Amino acid sequence: MGGQGVERREILRYIGIAAVAASFPGFSKWVFACPMDHPPSPAAPAPANSYQPLFFSAQQFRMVEHFAEMIIPEDDTPGARQAGVAEFIDFMVANRVPVSGSRDIRSTADAIAAGSELQTRFLAGLDWMNARSQSEFQKAFLDCTPDQQNSLVEELAYKTKFTPTTESGRAFFQLIRDYTVVGYYTTKIGLQSLGYPGLRQVWPKMPGCPHPDDPEHLKLREPSSSDSATQTHS
Amino acid sequence: MPTKGSKVFDAIVVGTGAGGGTAMKILCQAGLQVCAVNSGPRIDPDVDYRGHRQVYDLKYRGYGDPVRLKGKAHQEPYSVEESEYSEGRDLFEHDVAYSNAPGTDWYWKRCKATGGKANFWGRSSARFGDIDFKAADLDGFGENWPVDYAEIAPWFSKAERYMGVASTIQNRPSNPDGEYLPPIPLRCIDYIIQKGSEKIGVPYLPDRCAQLTVAHNEHPACHYCGNCSRGCDVGSFFSPTWFTIPEAEATKNLTLLTNALVRSVLVDVNGRARGVAYVDRKSKREVEVYGKVVVLAASCVETAHIMLNSKSRHWPTGIANSSGELGKNLCEHLYGNPGYGYLPQLLGQPATPDNIADSTVAWMPRWQNVKNPHEEKFIRGYSVYMGGGCGDFPGYYGQLEGFGSKFKRDIKRYYPTTIGALIQAPTLPSPNNYVDIDPEKKDIFGIPQLRFHFQWGQNELLMWEHSKQVMIDLFKAMGGELWGAGEEPDRPGTSLHETGVCRFGNDPKRYVTNKWAQTHDVPNLYICDASIFPNCTDKTTTMPIVAFTMRTCDHMLDNFKKSVHVRA
Repeated sequence: MGGQGVERREILRYIGIAAVAASFPGFSKWVFACPMDHPPSPAAPAPANSYQPLFFSAQQFRMVEHFAEMIIPEDDTPGARQAGVAEFIDFMVANRVPVSGSRDIRSTADAIAAGSELQTRFLAGLDWMNARSQSEFQKAFLDCTPDQQNSLVEELAYKTKFTPTTESGRAFFQLIRDYTVVGYYTTKIGLQSLGYPGLRQVWPKMPGCPHPDDPEHLKLREPSSSDSATQTHS
Repeated sequence: MPTKGSKVFDAIVVGTGAGGGTAMKILCQAGLQVCAVNSGPRIDPDVDYRGHRQVYDLKYRGYGDPVRLKGKAHQEPYSVEESEYSEGRDLFEHDVAYSNAPGTDWYWKRCKATGGKANFWGRSSARFGDIDFKAADLDGFGENWPVDYAEIAPWFSKAERYMGVASTIQNRPSNPDGEYLPPIPLRCIDYIIQKGSEKIGVPYLPDRCAQLTVAHNEHPACHYCGNCSRGCDVGSFFSPTWFTIPEAEATKNLTLLTNALVRSVLVDVNGRARGVAYVDRKSKREVEVYGKVVVLAASCVETAHIMLNSKSRHWPTGIANSSGELGKNLCEHLYGNPGYGYLPQLLGQPATPDNIADSTVAWMPRWQNVKNPHEEKFIRGYSVYMGGGCGDFPGYYGQLEGFGSKFKRDIKRYYPTTIGALIQAPTLPSPNNYVDIDPEKKDIFGIPQLRFHFQWGQNELLMWEHSKQVMIDLFKAMGGELWGAGEEPDRPGTSLHETGVCRFGNDPKRYVTNKWAQTHDVPNLYICDASIFPNCTDKTTTMPIVAFTMRTCDHMLDNFKKSVHVRA
């Protein structure tokens, strides 16, 4: 691949940027978690479960991590946990960084107000989930079985399962889903799972459409899921 | 007391963007001693551009530190151009505030670094044609430009040859063809959109894109890293940073002042320009620099701001404003998203490198009111850019319900399929749309602030509604599914294509400059930016700014030869 040389130089660049990013604890997890390119060195294993949350309590952080993995699980590509999504959410919420919502931010005061509201919404949402699981299954959310957890989240995620009493829960689910999607697809792992072409930084030319004989693209066949799994790793 | 310069230059050029950069290059190459005055710092591509960094290299993944602008006079972040890739660098204007009159919501995005917004521009480079220059003849509204296509075409050719523009010959009456490098090839989404467009009678053709598909004038061919809108690391598209500024410096005739915020044009006893006064941002001291000719290229409304603030015995309402037209007739492109959705034909296909050129590969050049100027409910016309395909973030995820493996597979399945539109609709000149000086507010340097008065007019709002119907028809015709459209157009100012405010025309009573962009009142004061354009057409401004600047400088050099201007 033409991009290999640049890719190598990029590693050097990461080291430079690592100084900037050092205060972001999730950094080591996501930037070096690229198993295909750089097998993890056995001398320096990523320290699992040693993360100290900046904003959430340890209990809340486990819940965020669990939620993120439920939203983007590991399957044929790594999931939210491996991409450090919970660390990302904790960092962004601690620093009051809005990644979703339509609030118009025109000043630092607006940004702080939006960020503070965000913190409140996260805490209230996690409480809401526990209250809901207590009322449905008499257990905290994390103590529920996977089936119970799924049913609790499904009623927030699918229109056909909405009920009139779950508006706050749905708003929270949308919020944590936004943060999870952003947290995942802004990592190398997430972008690789999509096949993001911009990971390669030198192309000899722009290839253009490979099917000019079928301009309407009516003859394309959608690959079956096993085909697409192969594509992902190619 | 201001610090006075000791040297008198042949020419002073205010601003180093598309217009100012081109002016100083031409004047320096002609042997003139030029002082270029730039509002902000010198840009350094190695540090200030994105380079090949990825979003995961950034501490806030591109969202930026939310309190980074704390304490600044203008804290609103700028979309698109300003990003976390340049965070911590002082490239964009946050120290100088501006005002909006009640009911106006202008979004004034300013890059003060050398090269200005042309470091990060979108690169669409269509020629204006007689359909634009002579629009008044065609539909009876307003007035013609003081030039026609035959006169300007050679300058468009010069600008295209210099910049390098990729496109194809299309033979459309609304869009004269130029001299082009090989086009950027169409993508899967483009072929599908093109077939659908054909069915509804709308053209969809390669854009005129100032991007080097092949090496050009010693600038390397594009390597398709896809990071153009955060600056090109090697100069494979036209920008002052890679083109005009180094060429001007190579002549050794250039003195480049940075962090020098021009507040006014100085005049002599006869009311002629004799230099400019600027505030040195670091020392906050006022400094004067002198020249035989002054060129303003501060980016449209800032040019008017400087002129309105240049009051003297001779020019009580601002320099060269005997017509009273200075600041009037502010025009802008209405931007907005008239439709977005996806193409089911492409569901589940492997990722394709759709955005490695980071450009508008193809567009819908104006097709309305072309055969007959009154075909539609509105006059003139608009164009539409289409984008989509595999990008750097699956922004469409909000359309997909649920969570878990199915959700994750859906995100991947839709990745190559999503598309969206961007309308580029010209506003018509209106007496309600103008800039003036805020009578009360001054910026932190003591300079009276600029104030905007601007509302969308009915003509452009009719275009906006029209474009939404076109998108409904297009999605149907190409077998796509429309998800929605923007509820409202983007805020005025978003497009960065402001024009007007120093319009050119033959009548000194009604126009600020003559057809050469030389002010009627002050013969040694020239303007090299889009403020001279009487309206904004459906095309972008950068390439025409370069072309008109080349022409203006040619005229100015002629005036030096004829001793209309005398060298220092």
